[in-house]
Formats: sequence, C-alpha cells, structure tokens
Amino acid sequence: MRHLLLASALLASPALAQTSQGDVAVTIYNDNLALVQDTRQLAIGAQRSRIEFPDVSGQIRPETVTLSGEGLGIVEQNFDFDLLSPQKLMEKAVGQQVTLVRTNPANGAETRERATVLAVNGGVVLRIGDRIEVLRDDSLPVRVIFDKVPENLRARPTLSVTVESERSGTRPVRLSYLTPGLGWKADYVTLFDEKAGRIDVQGWITLTNTTGTTFSNADTLLVAGQVQQQNQGYSRGYRPPRPNNIRKPGIESADRERLGDFYLYPLKERTTIANQQTKQVSFLDVVGAPGRKAYEYDNAWLGTMDEAQSANTVLKFSTSKDQGLGDALPAGIVRVYMRDARGNAQFIGENSIGHTPMGSELGLKTGEAFDVKVQPVVEKRERLSPSKWRTSMRYTLTNARPEAVTVDLVQSGLDFYWDDTRIVSESMKSERRSSDETQWHVPVPANGSATVTAVFETRF
Amino acid sequence: MARVSRLPVLAAIIVAMLGASADAQAIASSAGPQSVSVTVYRDPNRTAERAMNLGWLNGYALVSEVRTIDIPAGEADIRFEGVAGGIIPESAIVTGLPDGVVEKNQDAYLLSPASLLDRSLGKRVHLRRTSRATGAVTEQDAIIRTGADGAVVLQTEAGFEALRCSGLPETIVYDQVPPDLSAKPTLSVRTRSRAATRATVTLSYLATGFDWQANYVATLNPAGDHVDLFAWVTLANGDETGFANANTQTVAGKPNRESDPPRLGRGGGELSLQCWPQGTTSDIEADTTTPVEMMPPAPAPMAEAMDIVVTSARSKAVGGMQAVQEELGDLKLYRIPEPVTVAANAQKQVALLEKSGVAVQTFYRATISPWMGDEPFRATRILKTRNRTQEGLGLPLPAGGVVLFAANRGRPLLIGEGSVGDKAIGEDVEIEIGDAPGLFVRATRTDVVGDVANYRLVVTNDQPRPVRFDAEFNGIDTASIGDGKGVRLGRRNGRPLWSVIVPANGSATLAYRIKNDN
Repeated sequence: MRHLLLASALLASPALAQTSQGDVAVTIYNDNLALVQDTRQLAIGAQRSRIEFPDVSGQIRPETVTLSGEGLGIVEQNFDFDLLSPQKLMEKAVGQQVTLVRTNPANGAETRERATVLAVNGGVVLRIGDRIEVLRDDSLPVRVIFDKVPENLRARPTLSVTVESERSGTRPVRLSYLTPGLGWKADYVTLFDEKAGRIDVQGWITLTNTTGTTFSNADTLLVAGQVQQQNQGYSRGYRPPRPNNIRKPGIESADRERLGDFYLYPLKERTTIANQQTKQVSFLDVVGAPGRKAYEYDNAWLGTMDEAQSANTVLKFSTSKDQGLGDALPAGIVRVYMRDARGNAQFIGENSIGHTPMGSELGLKTGEAFDVKVQPVVEKRERLSPSKWRTSMRYTLTNARPEAVTVDLVQSGLDFYWDDTRIVSESMKSERRSSDETQWHVPVPANGSATVTAVFETRF
Repeated sequence: MARVSRLPVLAAIIVAMLGASADAQAIASSAGPQSVSVTVYRDPNRTAERAMNLGWLNGYALVSEVRTIDIPAGEADIRFEGVAGGIIPESAIVTGLPDGVVEKNQDAYLLSPASLLDRSLGKRVHLRRTSRATGAVTEQDAIIRTGADGAVVLQTEAGFEALRCSGLPETIVYDQVPPDLSAKPTLSVRTRSRAATRATVTLSYLATGFDWQANYVATLNPAGDHVDLFAWVTLANGDETGFANANTQTVAGKPNRESDPPRLGRGGGELSLQCWPQGTTSDIEADTTTPVEMMPPAPAPMAEAMDIVVTSARSKAVGGMQAVQEELGDLKLYRIPEPVTVAANAQKQVALLEKSGVAVQTFYRATISPWMGDEPFRATRILKTRNRTQEGLGLPLPAGGVVLFAANRGRPLLIGEGSVGDKAIGEDVEIEIGDAPGLFVRATRTDVVGDVANYRLVVTNDQPRPVRFDAEFNGIDTASIGDGKGVRLGRRNGRPLWSVIVPANGSATLAYRIKNDN
C-alpha cells in the first residue's frame, strides 16, 4: 500500500516548478501588504472534509482568510506551522517503533531491526528487544527509518480548512487573504538637460516579493496610498520616514483609475512574481517636461561653520498637466542623470518623493554643489539685557562656476520653538517665511563671492 | 554505478519535463558585456578624515554595459549574466531593445547547495550511498519532504529518513538545475520582439560596494614655503564582479543618496545539515559539568585578498596617464583616459594631478576655551594655502588624504598625514598635519577677582627658528579679552584670534580675562 502511494506521489510531482495555485489575483499596497485571491478547482466530497492549501504565502495572515465556494460551509480553519525536521521527527517518534538499518563496516552488509524510541533528550535512547541503547553511541553507521511523518508536521506552514459540503464534485473555491512580504514602490529615471531646462522621466513600478512563495501568472493590481494597518506583531523593520519633497501640493486629478482616495495601477498583463524577486514594470514615460536647477542653503541655527559648506543642488519641476509631468506620482525614488562630455548619462543624485498629486511643485535635493558654498559666521554676540541678546551674522557665499548663480539662503531656528526673533538690520531684504525662517535670494557673480549680513535680536 | 531502484516512471517524467520546457518562453543569455563603463562615487557618509576600508566599501558605482544579444522573435527572457553582485535592481535601465521592455526582473537566488535543496522540495531526487567497506554505490529515488534550514527529511520506499544522520556517506543527486537559478548575479528582462534580431543593448545600474578618494602626496621644500604636490585617484571595487577594459570615471561632490531598501537574500548558499540530538554516552560529562569551551575570537574582518594595482608609475615621465577632469552639473567628473580593468576586490590608482612649487604656509594653532584645564598641550601643525593659480593651484581638489614629506638630504622624511575636503577654486585650504612635537600651549588661571578670572597663555617653541602661532578663542566673549597692554586681536570665523611669532627657542605670552556673564 505504501509503495503504491509513493509511486503515485512521484507521478504527481514532476521535477518542474509546479504550483497548486489556481487563478491568482494579487492587490499590492505600498506598505508591505497584499491581498491575494486564489481561485482553485478543488474536488470536494460530500459532507465534512479537510482541504489543504499548499502554496499560499509563507507569511499569510491566517486570521484574514476567507474561503468561498458553492455549497460550502466552513467548520474550522487551521494554520499549522510546526515544521518537519529530523529533530521533530525523532521527538514525535518517542514511544513509537522505528526501523534501524545497521551497516557492517567490514563488508557493507545491512541488518535490520525494529526499535522503540524511549527518549530524545540530548541524544536518542532506544529499546531494541530487551536491550537499551543510545543511538550511534559507537559512531557506527545506523540508518533510522520512520514509518510515517506525524500529520501536523509540515514542510512549510500550511493552511487547512475543514468544510461541510452539500454535494460532492469539483468546483471553483476562492481563497483570499492578506499577507505581508509583497510590496511595491515607484522608481523614476530622470534625465536632466540643464541647458535646455528639460527633464525626461520614466516611471517604473518596482515589486518585491519576500513572502517565501511564488505567485504564478497573477493578475496584479497596485494601489498607491497607505492603508491603515494594525500592528501585526511581526517586525516590519524601522525605516525612517522619507521626506515627500512637495513644495506645493497639487489639486489636479490624474487620468488614472481610482478607488476612493487611492490611485490604482493595474498591470497590463498577468505576471509571475517569484519569491525573492525584484520586478519592474513601466508605467510612465514623459519626454521634455520643464525642469530647472536651484541652489539652496539652510543654516539651522544662529551658529558658525568653521569651513564653507556646499549649497544643495535642487531640481525643481511640476507634475501639472500644463507645466509638468501631467500625472500623479506614486511614492518612490527619483534618480537623476545628466550627460557627461561624451554624451553618456551619469548619475548625479537621487531623492524620494511621497505620493504626489498631479499639479504639485516638487523640489528634490539631488546633491551638494562642489563649486557653490556658503559659510555662516557669528560675528558678534552681545547681551543687551538678561533676556535680550543681539547676534550679528555674516554669510559668505562663493561661486567657483563660470556663470552667475542665485542661492536661496535660509536662516532657520529663529523662534527656538518658543520666542520669536526680530531682525534688527540686514544687508539685503529677506523674505520672512515663518516665525522660524527667513530667506534671502542672493545673486553670486561668476567666479565671485557675495556677502550677506544680518543682526538678530533673540531672547536667548 | 548501478542505479539500483530507479522506478520505471522516470521515463514518463522526463517526457513530461521536456514537453513543459518547450512551452516556456525563449531565453536569450548574455554572458558578459562587450564594453563597460564604470563611474565610481564616494561613500556619502565617509568624511575626508576617514580613509577607505577595503573590507567595507560603502560608496557605489554606476555601471553601464553594452552587450550584443540575439533576440528571438516573440516573447523572450533576456538574461544579463555577470552583473555586479551589489546591483540595486530597481536602478537598472535597459535601452536598445527593438520593441521595449515588458518587465525587468532580478532574482536574488543563486545556484547553491541550499537553493538546489530548497527548490527541490516535494520533488523526486536520488539518494546515493557509498559503502565504505566495499565501495559499492547504491542509488534510490527519494522525495524531499522538507529542507528548511538544512533540516532534510526524505521519503524513500522504506519510509522516512533524515539526510546524513546515519553516519553513512550519502548525498542527494539532482536531475537538473532549476531553470531560474544562475551561477552569477543575473538581471533578466522580458521582451517581445516582432522578429528575430541582433540588438546592441545598454544596461546601466547602480551597484554598492565601491568607493574612491584622492590621495595627495606633498613634499615640502627645505625653506618650508613650497610643496610639490602629486595626487592619485584611488578607487576600489569590493564587488565579486570585475570589469575588464572599462571606461572608468570617478565623481567628486556629494550626490544625494537615499537609504536602499533591504537587499533580498541570496537564498543562502551554504547548507549545514541538521539532525536530531546526536549526544552519546561519552558526551555526557561534557554536557553537564564542563563549561562551554570559549570560541577563539573571530579574526578581524579583512578585505579578502585585495589586489592593489598602481596603474601609472609615479614619475614625471612623459606619457604617464592622468585622470581628466570634466564638469558634470554641480559635480566634478574625473575620467581615466584609457580603458582600464577594475578588478573584483581590487584597488586601483591613477594619477590625478601634479603641481610643483605650490606656495604654502606652515603655522601652528590651538583653540582656547574657558573650560579646559591648565595642562600644557601640543599645538596642531597646519599647512595652509589657497586654491588659486597665484599659489600654483587653481583647480578643483577632491577630498582625500594628504601625506606630507620634507625633503631632507635627498631622503624624504614623513612629517605627518592629514586630510582635505572637497575644495573649489578660490577656497582656503588648511590641512591639519598632527600635533607639533615641540610647541606647547598652556593656559593658566592666575587669579579671580569678583566675576573676572585672569589667565595667562604661554606658548613655548623648542625649534631653532621662529614660528607663527595662532590661538583661537572659543566660547570666550570678545569683549572680555585683552591684556590691557594694547595687544590687537584678529578674528577668524567670528572668533578672537591671537596671532604671534614665537621666537626661536623662546616663548610668547598673552594675558587675558574671562568675565563671568551669568
């Protein structure tokens, strides 16, 4: 009987990748979460029977499983994660009989005998007939053959459902569940032509699968936006929040499928999302949108820098229909390239964006400029009264480039989160952006320098 | 070698396999690039003071490869083999495919003992045993029932067994390599072509595990007022993949980098088999009474057998190769003019610049703050110049280490090492070259009157020549400094500065007061 079973098992498992999955549809959210719907054709007997679902996500959240099929009622649902291993196999064999095959080291002859496993604590203690032995105590080869594998030991975590069926027969059964381990983000390739003031942008959806399971030929839908999730006890790993770099949020609607607040990105074709795979599919291709470069420097407090600091190089562009990319952008990383003297695209920096509505103004710091620098220096600090200080700042801006530039120079940290600060005097008019920040637009001549001075009155 | 108990179903299975693989889409593999370009970027978080650690390179590179690929008609997977192991797959750009890209994939699994086992779960393999006594080989079919983390349970005709718990020489023999496991890191692209064609395809991607810096060698003339400056571009590839005859560039400046998402695992590699507890009677004592033997400390992580290649001999010989600087937006690009090989786990150096007779000043500096003790300490030696043509420079200087030598009767003498950050044209360049051996600074509080403390600052010079010394006062209000004798203080970066020439084998003294404002 066992031989027969084995032979049929062999027939059923040819050496090629095969899956028990049926018609798979996955809906993937940004935040490491996916909804899997798997419709399988299953032969179910009448009345009560147990169905196993191999090839579900290795990280399935079993409490989110729903199963539906014609004429099926669910009795109970189990998720077994006691994994089969030699140690487990031996432990579960305590009190049971196994077969020992001893090999004679001199002539290779095999002798078989039955043994009862008495205990598995550090070593294996056996009863063979009326003798008690420790397995392989003499280091001689002994094969241990188990008659069966205990039912609840699994090669991989397995979902099983006991159902009550009105009739017997094959029918489609739809299994749906949530799983972490599938996620997506966008990646943008931006080629910046500085002279022309244009950018070419290609957007790619990047899917990653770390569920431990391959989803074959899946109908895939991506949802841009974060859905509220309860803390699941598993560690999603801390990632510092990324800036969204939106200077002005847009108010236009993109010509994309939507569901409620979310934009939907269906993949045009079915695809196989392999385990441990990074997959990219194109979703955006814009040529010649306006883009320009700006220099920014933010001095975070009224302090001195001992050496001149590079100003940030910022790429500014819009996502509006008329003046920009004309689309809503799902969150991701924008990598910026520029052509070198030989015309090859070279990487000049990257930054992240959040989910960006159409019509937004974006400002991405791509890097720090080699040739444009700012040195803030506290020239003088005087105490006027116990709660009044006067700080004289001098900012020296230098430009080693052969063309004039304008640096947006920001002094922040002005309200100390508490007390507002007064600007007593300044060498050029600044724009007070908030109680905390003031900004100068400083023209710096080609291969030259510029100086801004300002006197602040503070409480501390 | 007799396959003892091969089941007759095998033939049927092979037929089924062949049938199935004919259905799978065509695969076009490209083993390696025809031409490659590598642009190396620095570790954005490594400051100039920190030298590169060849065992832990945190910069990155932009790799662009040109490959010629025969593309079959219809749908095909094009596999780019031999990409850098540190590839950031989402940064890959593929151009030149006649009908575009359907999707790009990178599988983290490489062919390894662990991935072979993992992919064979539930599948039929062969269990081969060799008798130590007779050498007879027996092979039987088995199905892998579990293999997670090397805990292998097999089903054979006889029942269930664990792999390699028996003490017999036994191993698993597989029929074939799963089609999606490759030996080297591989990026694949699915394309759909109207007709079979040969295409020149460019693949560009960012990869981690590279870094570079400049290394300056300065030789001070006997008068101490000029240096001969030579610099290397030192670049390192810590990746397992090398790039032969690569157009090589390095980029200075600071491109912004976001943190990369966690790398997907490579599917293990090593397979360490697990068994049931294997304790025997003779282990008992060790188990209960003897403390666990301490492991010897792991050897310090070493760069594994790094090759160090110096491409251009350091000489003024005509025809030596020197990197050429270009503008790249707000960055500086240094192009190595000829293709070179950027080998795996190797460091390479190419000349960056050579300038003789750069005017410099050497002086000494100490920072004086109210909260320091009255122990004498050594002043810091500083080599100073300005990045202008007047001084003999006037070109962008990328960050790196500086080694200062003094010419001494024909034998250079190492004075010390320092570092310099990225310096644009026109900037002041100050390089701290360690502590002065014989220039001591001591600030002593002489007395306290009310809320005013009086101090005396003494600098002593053991050299037979006068030297310049700068004391910079930090955290001391300008209004409260002065010795009442009319010493004029300068300013640097908004702070009071006492600049003085300390006579040969002599000392200089400044008296100052600190008023307690609070």
